[in-house]
Amino acid sequence: MTKEVLSKKAVLLPGTLEMLILRSLERTGEPMHGYGIALYIKQISKEVLLVEEGSLYPALQRLAIKGLVKAEWSESETGRKARYYKLTAAGRKQVTEEVAGFEKILEAMLRVVQPA
Amino acid sequence: MSKLAEFGRRLIQLGRKGKGDTELAEEMRQHLEMKIQANLRAGMTPQEARFEAQREFGNRTRLQEESRELWRWGSFESFFRSVRYGLRVLRKSPGFTAIAILTLALGIGANAAIFSVLEAQLWRPLPFPDSERLVEAHLVLRERSRQWDVLPVRVFRAWQSESHSFTNMTGYLYPQNRNLTANGSSERVDVMAVSANFFDTLGLAPERGRAFSPDEEKPGGNHLAILSHALWQNRFGSDPGMLGRVITIDGDSYTVVGIASSTLRIEYFYDEPAIFIPLAMEESKVMRNLYAIGRLAPGFTPQGAQTELEAILQRQLKAEAIQPEPAAAVSNLRETWTQFGAAPLYFFAGAVALVLLIACVNTAGLLLARGLARQREFALRAALGAGVGTLIRQSLMESLLLSAGGSAAGTLLGVWLVQAMSTFIPAYTLPRRAPVEFDTRVVLFAIIISVASALLVGLVPGILASRVDANRVLGQNSRSFTAGRRQRRMRSTLVSIEVALGLVLLFGAGLFLSSFIRLIEAPRGFEAPGALTFRVALRGNDYSKPEQIQRYFRQLTDKLDSLPGVHEVTLGSGLPLAGTDLWGNVNVAGRPPVSKYGLSVDVFAVAPNYFQALGMHLLAGRAFNPHDDAGSARVAIINRNAAKELFGTEDPLGKVLEYVAAPERGVPAEPPVQIIGVVENAQEFNANEVPFVDLYVPFAQKVAPSAYALLYSDVPRGTLSDAIRAAAYNIDKDQPVYDMQTMDDRIDESVSGARFNLVLVAGLAGVAVLLVAIGIFGTVSYFVEQRTQEFGIRLALGASPRKLLAHTIGQSLLTGAVGLALGVATSLALGRLLRHALYLVPHEHTGMLYGVSIYDPLSLVGAGGVLFAALLLASYLPARRAMCVDPMVALRHE
Repeated sequence: MTKEVLSKKAVLLPGTLEMLILRSLERTGEPMHGYGIALYIKQISKEVLLVEEGSLYPALQRLAIKGLVKAEWSESETGRKARYYKLTAAGRKQVTEEVAGFEKILEAMLRVVQPA
Repeated sequence: MSKLAEFGRRLIQLGRKGKGDTELAEEMRQHLEMKIQANLRAGMTPQEARFEAQREFGNRTRLQEESRELWRWGSFESFFRSVRYGLRVLRKSPGFTAIAILTLALGIGANAAIFSVLEAQLWRPLPFPDSERLVEAHLVLRERSRQWDVLPVRVFRAWQSESHSFTNMTGYLYPQNRNLTANGSSERVDVMAVSANFFDTLGLAPERGRAFSPDEEKPGGNHLAILSHALWQNRFGSDPGMLGRVITIDGDSYTVVGIASSTLRIEYFYDEPAIFIPLAMEESKVMRNLYAIGRLAPGFTPQGAQTELEAILQRQLKAEAIQPEPAAAVSNLRETWTQFGAAPLYFFAGAVALVLLIACVNTAGLLLARGLARQREFALRAALGAGVGTLIRQSLMESLLLSAGGSAAGTLLGVWLVQAMSTFIPAYTLPRRAPVEFDTRVVLFAIIISVASALLVGLVPGILASRVDANRVLGQNSRSFTAGRRQRRMRSTLVSIEVALGLVLLFGAGLFLSSFIRLIEAPRGFEAPGALTFRVALRGNDYSKPEQIQRYFRQLTDKLDSLPGVHEVTLGSGLPLAGTDLWGNVNVAGRPPVSKYGLSVDVFAVAPNYFQALGMHLLAGRAFNPHDDAGSARVAIINRNAAKELFGTEDPLGKVLEYVAAPERGVPAEPPVQIIGVVENAQEFNANEVPFVDLYVPFAQKVAPSAYALLYSDVPRGTLSDAIRAAAYNIDKDQPVYDMQTMDDRIDESVSGARFNLVLVAGLAGVAVLLVAIGIFGTVSYFVEQRTQEFGIRLALGASPRKLLAHTIGQSLLTGAVGLALGVATSLALGRLLRHALYLVPHEHTGMLYGVSIYDPLSLVGAGGVLFAALLLASYLPARRAMCVDPMVALRHE
């Protein structure tokens, strides 16, 4: 069953997940932990976009290596230690650029898909 | 995104050693837990909640693996792998590794040592603040821009007051040897007269007391002294009470007003100045030893300053209606002060670099030969999928490891060499007294040349190895394959290059040897074995009149004559190999002048028995006798060179010479002299010189305050020198005896530079021959080993061992012959290129070669012969093994 569902859900363009993470961090404007990011993405994308919640983590590592997000351990609302991610200056710049780029692509695609 | 920052983040992660992994696992576990909690809240059973959470999360292990992979260092880890592999390979063949490291160590060590000398002697800025902005301003002859002209005081003053290119311009006189009397004893020290702003211009105010003030530059107001820090420390025990104390220099009193800064080292003159006194420039129009130092104003270049000074000079020459003869020149002070020793140092640096090149070629050759033996390994690795890049990288890695080892060993060797050199280098052949030391710059240099060597050494074998045809090599199931033609040709080329470079060095050593022998055997023009000489320079008010000087020297010679065991005593204002302080310009009376200023001659005022005591051969006329005194007719004897310059083939006897006075150049007027004799040329400073034009006059007719005495005696040196000092002390205790040496010492000193050059070049050539021999030995060994089976078959088929030997040696000799031919061509071309720098050019630089042609056939043949012998021996030893191959063993040698 999973295979079919996955293939339906998994039409994510490469890099989309990273962009979603950056966008979430930007929108909320405050540090978030992985679970929080997953929840947020689920909400704003109406539960269609997320393939496996776990794939957030490799994506977060990629962003950390590129220096777009920064991770820090701190107290969570339940009083436990959790790893919080926040945007770096470079990350913030990246979001603006990527959103613009993404919109362009989307526009182009829509033009192709819609009948003239 | 900056790659560097990314590298940093990866490095931090690496430093956290797996902590990242556990953190990630913890993070994921928390995520799942929160999900489970949420599911429970949504009303699921615990089992459902867990299952659903895990399903939505995905494969935890795979995701963790994926995340960890992201932080990996692809290239970094494979780098370490190849280091480990390289070390293993090198450890497996310790003999090869040791030879390669030793070879590179020799090359790198020698280069590091010579670099440290160049750095300390030529390139290190002078020890004054912002010293690269300091320049020397001087005059040169318009038609010979390398020959300095006297700088007249008025030109200096005009430059100082009218130029805008300098923040400061100061003058100094070349340091003079004077008598210092203080605390009851006297000694010779170098005294430097300097303008008031001298310390200011150099940027080093006196450590104690004060500098001179401009009004103290006036004649009469200048009996003040600033002591060098070293003199203050050594002679006066750092006594702070020295300020205001009076010291005596040449009988005059000077008040100490300051102690110079300890960093003020002026170490570029024959001896470092110990005392500074104010320079009273207006005392005379010409000071022959006046020099000017300027500190360039911000934004000005030496060229710009030169243009400005030239304009000022021309204005002045025009105003005084003088033919524009000299031109202004401005040069970097450090380069000016160190230039006399620069050429030999650069020459040796070149020779040393050649040795390193040989070492590299040698090691590359060894690697290549070994690469042959490792063909199967490389082929196998290529077959298993190693790319060309990997194989080249592997080869480079091995050579890098070798050169790292060589560099470490070489740096140690360099430290030792530098120490050995600093005790071995004869004094006064280096421009600076600054100690040659091994510092971080030298180590850095060693590292750089190591990496360069590694590239040079590793690239060729690596590229060749990577081109191995895996099919061919692996298809043969024995080790009997012979070297490919390309490898063999490359290997031969390397050996040829090595032989060629070796020949260049050996030829150079031959030239230096031949040159040294000629120097030793050169006719010196005098013969005074065992004669002891010393100098007295009379200074002070007691010796302002000629009679006073005459009386002193008469007393001195009488006292010396009466010493027990002394046979003969003579006196002269100068000596062969020591020069003279007197000079003059002469024209022949009744003839058109030689030039406007006459012929410049060195004047020796000598006692009647001077020529006899020094064994100088009289070619014509008579020597002086005691009747040639102050009251009789003025007479002179000229040397052979003067006779040639002034009279050509004509007979000079009886001719009269007139002195040309040139007050603006500081040449005094004198009564004319009649020539009564011609004497053989004597070496004036050393053997490698163009003969000077010398004029000898009786001491009684021209008094010199500074003179050398020469005497023969049977008494041991120590006793004699004590007696001499006592005699001089008895006449006048304030006039010290100094520069006491036998004439044999002076001869020895005059060739010490050449001897040092010879030892250095010969040492380098020896190392080169050794390296070449090692290289050839290695090559032939490998070839013999490679062809053991082939030899076995040949022997089995009836070839004589002798024939195999001849064949093997013949092959390496052929390679050697190509190298020799290449080396001869290179040597001759290099010689042509360096000809100008190697030989003496009057007024420009001293020569390193003497009397030997740059194409000297004897040196060339000798060098070729030595190399050929080394070749023969180095190939005979391994080739002999080819003879001893047992056919049965060789054929089973699978």
